[in-house]
Amino acid sequence: MAPPTNKAVAAPRWSHTPTTPLLLWLGVSLPLVAWDTGYMLMRPHTMPGGSLHWPLWVPYALYGEVDHLYGFKQWHLKNSFAAAQSLMNLVESLMYLGYLALWYSYGKPAAPGGRKAVGGRVGAIAALLGFSAAVMTVSKTVLYYSSTIARPSDANSPTSTEPDEDDRTFDPRAPRSNFSLYPLEYLLYCEDCHQIRCPRCVTEEIVTYYCPNCLFEVPSSNLKSEGNRCFQCPICIGPLAVTSVETKPDPGLLAAPDSASPHSGPYALTCSYCNWSSTEVGIKFEKPNSIHAQLAKLRNGGETRLTAKEQKERRKDPSYRPQAAAQGELGEAEALDLETQFANLKLLYQKQLADPNAADNGLAALGDLGFSSPTSLSRIMSIYTGGSLQDKKPKSRVGAMREALEANEGLQLADLDESAAIAQLQDEGLDGTASTSQLADQPPNIGEVHLHGSDRFISELRPIPYLLRTKRSKRCPVCRHIISKPEAKVQTTRFRIRLVAGSYIPSIAIRPLSLSSGSSASGAAVPGALLEPLKPTHFLLTFKNPIFETIKVTLGAPAKTPGRFASKVTVLCPDFEIDANTDVWDEALKEGGERDRERERRRRKGEEGSGGGSNNNHNQLEVGKIWERGRNWVSIVVEVVPASLTVEHGEGPLREDEDVLEIPMFVRVEWEAETGGEDVGTAPSKDKEAREKRELAYWCVLGLGRIRQ
Amino acid sequence: MSRRPPRGEYIETDTGNKVARKATLVGTQNIMLGGKTVIMPDVMIRGDLIRTIQPSSQSTGGAPPSTTAVSIGRYCFLSRGCCLRPPGRLYKGVFTYMTLRIGDHVFVGPGSVVQAASIGSHVHIGAKVSVGELAIIKDYVRILDGTVVPPNMVIPSFSIVAGQPARLIGEVPEGGHEAFELRNLYKTVGNNPQPAPS
Repeated sequence: MAPPTNKAVAAPRWSHTPTTPLLLWLGVSLPLVAWDTGYMLMRPHTMPGGSLHWPLWVPYALYGEVDHLYGFKQWHLKNSFAAAQSLMNLVESLMYLGYLALWYSYGKPAAPGGRKAVGGRVGAIAALLGFSAAVMTVSKTVLYYSSTIARPSDANSPTSTEPDEDDRTFDPRAPRSNFSLYPLEYLLYCEDCHQIRCPRCVTEEIVTYYCPNCLFEVPSSNLKSEGNRCFQCPICIGPLAVTSVETKPDPGLLAAPDSASPHSGPYALTCSYCNWSSTEVGIKFEKPNSIHAQLAKLRNGGETRLTAKEQKERRKDPSYRPQAAAQGELGEAEALDLETQFANLKLLYQKQLADPNAADNGLAALGDLGFSSPTSLSRIMSIYTGGSLQDKKPKSRVGAMREALEANEGLQLADLDESAAIAQLQDEGLDGTASTSQLADQPPNIGEVHLHGSDRFISELRPIPYLLRTKRSKRCPVCRHIISKPEAKVQTTRFRIRLVAGSYIPSIAIRPLSLSSGSSASGAAVPGALLEPLKPTHFLLTFKNPIFETIKVTLGAPAKTPGRFASKVTVLCPDFEIDANTDVWDEALKEGGERDRERERRRRKGEEGSGGGSNNNHNQLEVGKIWERGRNWVSIVVEVVPASLTVEHGEGPLREDEDVLEIPMFVRVEWEAETGGEDVGTAPSKDKEAREKRELAYWCVLGLGRIRQ
Repeated sequence: MSRRPPRGEYIETDTGNKVARKATLVGTQNIMLGGKTVIMPDVMIRGDLIRTIQPSSQSTGGAPPSTTAVSIGRYCFLSRGCCLRPPGRLYKGVFTYMTLRIGDHVFVGPGSVVQAASIGSHVHIGAKVSVGELAIIKDYVRILDGTVVPPNMVIPSFSIVAGQPARLIGEVPEGGHEAFELRNLYKTVGNNPQPAPS
């Protein structure tokens, strides 16, 4: 490798002299760097309390407080980043010194009284050495600064390795936790993967579409072709009903003979919640059925319009085009509906793409930049379409795309004249305008004119077709097995397959526990009461086993909850077994409920608690013992000391929901299950009842309540 | 609480209904209870609002005209202060009331007014909810507190609705079906209530 400075060697009269700024800089920086490097490399002796600290490195005692990379903080974290930098400093300094030494010992004054200049081979080496050291300095400085910038705000070291996500305590306050926490009811369970599946990690397939109002099942082939049958009120989203306009005013007058014949006359959609009627926007229907088709032909105000389909047909019709051009005045661009405009534009661009020698360069200035040339467009398109566009077309294409210039090319002038809207606003006031939520609920208006400034008034709102609802089946994304599948019929609520997590993993119920040994006041035991800060509170966690095997549960919870206000958490019995769930009928048929209860009572108070149980300060609470157990449930006690929510000076104010006390808890469930059918073939069982050990472990979050501020 | 009432607070029928003595049931002969239904104090059921016009097909059949105003299934729970009122509408030009049909495991929260045409099974209606006239609520529906269900609205199965007027805000998850069961709640009220299992 030949650095560019080597060229200079060939030059005959070449010589090198350090400039004055360079010498000044080296004179200042070299001692400073030596001081700093000495401190870093001779730690801990140079740190406060070390043998070499005094007197040379005393200022570093203060600096170490500010820059933790220099202080004890990172030293205890065994952070080697700064020390490694110092090692590089040492090398750099030595190179600088070598450069200076070469210059000083081999250099000769070029002119009398002038500064020494070093030339020839030695000069080249000196220059190369100095240059390399300078490059090292620059790159190291850049690295140092960029690592500082990239560092997270709380003085974590830039290189300290973050623990793996699985090993870390789950933080319910982390922004990402919102996406991974679900109530137990929302979780499914894949029997083949033996894993919990959440709504975000399943793939859904639509089984049935249906209208939520009339519960009509829409065949998937008719979804696009057939319009919705039911409509919502554009004002209040209530359901709209078809009523006869004539009969509406006075129902009392309507006698029996008239009612026998079907209602005649125009019909309207009316809302029974806010009494809105489609007559308010001038829409009346001739027939009470196929409202969607009739509505597509009607503008607000009652005048007819072309449906999207008719517009399309008219677009195809060549005889219409010149006629329209003749009709439209030149100054006033004719109002194109969105679809026609899009079709015109598409036609224009496609024509230009097909014609390589498009003569007129509408945007010649941009042509050089390559933005508007068909070649670059097709190149960009090929990036996204996998190169198929590029391959089909010849590559030698130059010239620029022309933009639309006429209405039949898709040009649509914006209608900036808002005087009509202003007049209407003055006329109707703010009450006549539509709210943003009303506008957001509006359906896309197919076949309507361009939306410059429209849809701002209530009079322009149209009935909203009901969004169809679906029944969906859910698949495990890993093994593709279906884990939830409803019956296809709209009216039934049964499921063919429904593997919910609640029937595989233990449910956890939380109840505040008031110890009768204490004072009679049981204020803390009222559910929903605020938690007193710094006052130990006990909660009863009841784990209920849904499966027909005895399970072994191991709990892990951090001693302090994550977040700014750390509450102390103690799980008194983190390790216990829960008896198998039994059939409800077994339980009912087991005669002598009294005896059963007796046995249960004996088993309560944790006879099989694992530890010896050093007595806690409460007479009933014992560490390592379960509180109570039943047929398929076990209660344990968790002691919580809620944090005090006093915000120290200089810290930010209390954020939203920061007073909520949530405990992250790691639950590990172990049980023995009968081996599945497919496993038998692979491992020949010693005896018939081959048992397989299963385990499932997951983080969950227990919300205990809010802490009093 | 010095004097214990000689009679229980509830009347418990053979079919397991628990009807509070302080409930106001008007037209009891037109109210059908399926059994194991709890009617708490201050509940009003308007059984007097019966249908005045029979459907023509039924009246010609010779069957006795049905006078049921309110029909309630099993394991329903009517909380304190709620009101069940059969809906009325014009039928062939004449105003008539319609039967209010309620399925099984239906919870009606305190202070709610229900004028629906039909309510399916496993429905939870929160507190201070108004269910408008002739609304149809299908199975497994949860209506949150304070909702106003507009008249004639149809709420399909597995919906969670809230707001004024009611708007679909979510779907009942697959694992949430058991939460609609009211068997345990049934046991917690009555003359000798049992504590709710933890």
